[in-house]
Amino acid sequence: MGGFLPPAERRSSALLGLYVALSLLLLLIGDRLPQSGPRGVGAWIFAPFDRVVLSLDRAAAAWRDNRELHQRIAELEIENARLRLQGIENDQLREQLGLRTYRNYALKPVEVLALSGEPVPSAATLSAGAHQGVHEGDVVVTRDGLLGRIGESYPGLSRAVLLTDLNSAVACEVESTGVLGVLRFTSTPYPRLVLTGVPLSDTVRVGERVVTSGLSRRYPRAIPVGQVRRVGPDPTGLVQDIEIEPAARVSRIRHAFVIPHPAPAEDQP
Amino acid sequence: MKQIGALLTVVVVTLLLRSTALSALAARGVVLDVLAFAVTIWALRNGETWGSTCGFFLGLAADFDAAHWLGRHALALALMGYAVGRLGRTLVRDSARTQLVVLFICTLLHQAWCAAFSFGGAEGAVVTGMRILISAAVTAPAGTLILGVVRRVTGHPLFSHAHLDAKS
Repeated sequence: MGGFLPPAERRSSALLGLYVALSLLLLLIGDRLPQSGPRGVGAWIFAPFDRVVLSLDRAAAAWRDNRELHQRIAELEIENARLRLQGIENDQLREQLGLRTYRNYALKPVEVLALSGEPVPSAATLSAGAHQGVHEGDVVVTRDGLLGRIGESYPGLSRAVLLTDLNSAVACEVESTGVLGVLRFTSTPYPRLVLTGVPLSDTVRVGERVVTSGLSRRYPRAIPVGQVRRVGPDPTGLVQDIEIEPAARVSRIRHAFVIPHPAPAEDQP
Repeated sequence: MKQIGALLTVVVVTLLLRSTALSALAARGVVLDVLAFAVTIWALRNGETWGSTCGFFLGLAADFDAAHWLGRHALALALMGYAVGRLGRTLVRDSARTQLVVLFICTLLHQAWCAAFSFGGAEGAVVTGMRILISAAVTAPAGTLILGVVRRVTGHPLFSHAHLDAKS
């Protein structure tokens, strides 16, 4: 082959032959050769370049992250400002519509002098009456939740009708879903609080909190009442039978608080 | 000496690109065959002697970077450099179409050769075939585009015409 080729081409052909022979030799016996030495040299040569490229790569990544985080912060700040404005606007609108805004009630502490009712107490005698500013219709609560309302007021004493009274009815809602119902006490088949009037189509789950709905003229909104203990179909099959575990422990109360004149929403200007 | 320095620079830059920026692309399934690209361009520009030399040493360096099959890249790239260098005498090397076709074929052959060493049977044949095709289909236009940009930036052709070379 080399005889009829020009010298330059002969040289390149020979060189190629050498490379091919070396490559084939390496393919055949390369795995048996010690490679850690050449690889170490390669790593030593390339390490500074790799570091430079890696630094550039990291700088680029940091720059990208920084930009994304700045954008996220800006978005959150805008959202926060918007929510703050909406909160103020909501308060103003509720005020203009004459709706009650959420506020802390003035609590008047009272002592529970006596409990009456069997087997579950249904009424309590309180240590404050009309002279102390406690009037009929005032709401009675404990630190855990709703207890009842003042049914009768005397000069120095008052009598509270508890949730466990058979004639008590409290308009309530399930806190997380807004499902409405009326809380009543029933003694059949055993004494218990039941959220009545809840259609079968409404979803209520065990453990959900129940609060006053504010739809009642007697109780302000969002006072804790209890927690759903059991859910099942009513014997009539028309509504749900939802048993409530009361937030306030009726049989163990010694002290309570009266919320004087809890004006219902309809009475607001 | 100047040629050797340039060759070393090409080897270093190519291997750096391969192990950094392009490895991220490769992890996403797009293998830009920078080895084939570098050898092809070097061979088109400098002829078969330098083409095969560049291919052999670049391939050898890439082989040392890998764990197995020492000589795999060296053999393929040396042959490729020689073949492209020889072909370069008869081709219009500054033509974008020529560059596109040559890069496509070279990448296809190099990737197919490399894939043969890790071929896992008929089950993976379609996937491997697709990978080879994607690699060639990406490397060829990307390489041609880069050459076009370099030519535009430098303001003069990267490769002289074949008949002018022959006269000189």
